[in-house]
Amino acid sequence: MENDELVQNMILELRRGVLSIAVLSQLSREEYGYSLLKALSEKGMEIDQSTLYPLLRRLESQGLLKSDWRIADEARPRRYYVISPQGRAVLNKLKREWSAMAATMKGMLS
Amino acid sequence: MNLIDKYIAEVGKHLPRRNRADIEAEIRSTLEDMLEERKQSQGALDDALIAELLKEYGAPRKVAESYIGPRYLIGPRMYPIFEMVTRIVLVVLLAVALAGLGISLSKASLVGPEFLRTIGESALGLLSGLMTAFGNIVLAFAILERVLPTKEFEKEAEDWDPADLASEPDPDRVKFGEQIFEIIFLVLFLVILNLYPGVIGFGFLDEGNWIFISPILTEAFFHYLPWINVLFLLQIGIGVYLLRRGWWSTGLRIANIILELASIALAVVMLRGPALVALTAEQLANTPLAEEAQLFTTIINLAPTLALTVVIIISSIEVAQMIYHLVKGRPSSPYPVIK
Repeated sequence: MENDELVQNMILELRRGVLSIAVLSQLSREEYGYSLLKALSEKGMEIDQSTLYPLLRRLESQGLLKSDWRIADEARPRRYYVISPQGRAVLNKLKREWSAMAATMKGMLS
Repeated sequence: MNLIDKYIAEVGKHLPRRNRADIEAEIRSTLEDMLEERKQSQGALDDALIAELLKEYGAPRKVAESYIGPRYLIGPRMYPIFEMVTRIVLVVLLAVALAGLGISLSKASLVGPEFLRTIGESALGLLSGLMTAFGNIVLAFAILERVLPTKEFEKEAEDWDPADLASEPDPDRVKFGEQIFEIIFLVLFLVILNLYPGVIGFGFLDEGNWIFISPILTEAFFHYLPWINVLFLLQIGIGVYLLRRGWWSTGLRIANIILELASIALAVVMLRGPALVALTAEQLANTPLAEEAQLFTTIINLAPTLALTVVIIISSIEVAQMIYHLVKGRPSSPYPVIK
C-alpha cells in the first residue's frame, strides 16, 4: 500500500517532467484548451485540466506559445493556443534531449 | 445565477485581480465544452449533471491555487536566514530578561506575593518582548522577500568559496584559548581571595611614592567565600576536563548551565546582602585623595554592585547560549566520527 503511493508520486513527477514537451508537441496547429486535453488523452497522456491550463499560461508567459480569444465554429468564445517560433526552437532542443535521455535510461534499465 | 456562475465567482474570489477576468473566462469556456460533450452523450442537462461536472473539475480554492502557485510570507530562499536571526534575537532577549529578573529579585523580597509578582511581571514582559521581536523580524523579512532581487541570491550561490568551509566554527569544539584564560583567571582569583586578601585594594603613585589602600573587603564578603570557592573549583574542574576532552557533551553543557545558574543565584544573594566593600573617608584622610574622599568612597563602594550586575548579565547570556546549543543539538552522524 505504502509502495503504491510512493510509485504513484514518482509517476506523477515523471509525467510532470515531460508535460511541457507533450503540450508543445501537440500545438503545431491551433487548439483550445479542451480540445488539447482530448488530443493528449487520445495519445495516452492523461492530464488534469487544473494542471494543463496553468501550464499553458506559463508556457505563454515564457514566449513559447501564443494565444488569442476567438469565436470559431460555434457561437462561443474560446482561447486558441499555438506554438511560437521560439517555442518551436525550444521543442527541437527538448526533443534531442529527450531522445538522449531515453537512450540513456534504456541502457540503464535493460 | 446558475451553478456555473456561482462556481466561477467562487474561484474568482481566490484569484489575483490582475488576470482574474481572463482566467474566469477560460474556466467558463472549458466547463461549457465539457458540458456540451456530456450533453451529447447523456442527453438532457440538469443541475445534478452540472454539479457532478463541477465536483470533477475541483474545489474552487484548489482550482484557483493551480493558477497562482504557492504563496508565502517568507519564502525558501530567505527562510534559513530568518530562522538564524530569529534564534539569535530570541536568545539575546531571553538572556536580557534573565538578567533583568536577577536584578529585580535582588531588590525585591524573596518570599510571598512580591516574589511571585516579580516573577510574573518578568514572564509577561518577556512574552510581550518575544512576540514584538518576532513580529518585527517577520515583517522585516516579508519586506525583504519582496524587495530583494532573486539574482542577489543566485550570485551569492555562484560566488561561494570552498575555502570558507574551513572557517566555519564547530559549536561543540572547545575553544582552548578561552578555557585556559578562564582557568588561569579563576585560579588567580581563588589564590588571592583565600591566601592574600590583603592585596585587594587600590593604589596610586603620589610624587614617586606608591600609596596602597587596603583592606577594603568586609566580613560579609568573607561569609560568601566558601561558596565562591566551591563554584570556582567546580568551574576549574569542568574547564580542565574540557581541555582534556576537547569537545562539549550534553552532560557537560547541563553541568555548566547548573553552575552558571548557581553563580547567578549567589551573585543575586550577594547583591541583596550587606555591603561587600567598606571604604570610609577616614581611610583616605592622610592621602592626596582626601579632598575627593567622598567621591572615591562612593565609587569604590559601588564597584561590587556593578561587578555583580555584570556577572549576572554575562552568566545569563552564557546560560542562554548553552541552552540554545543544547536545544539546537546536531543530528548524530551515520559514520563513525573520531573526535
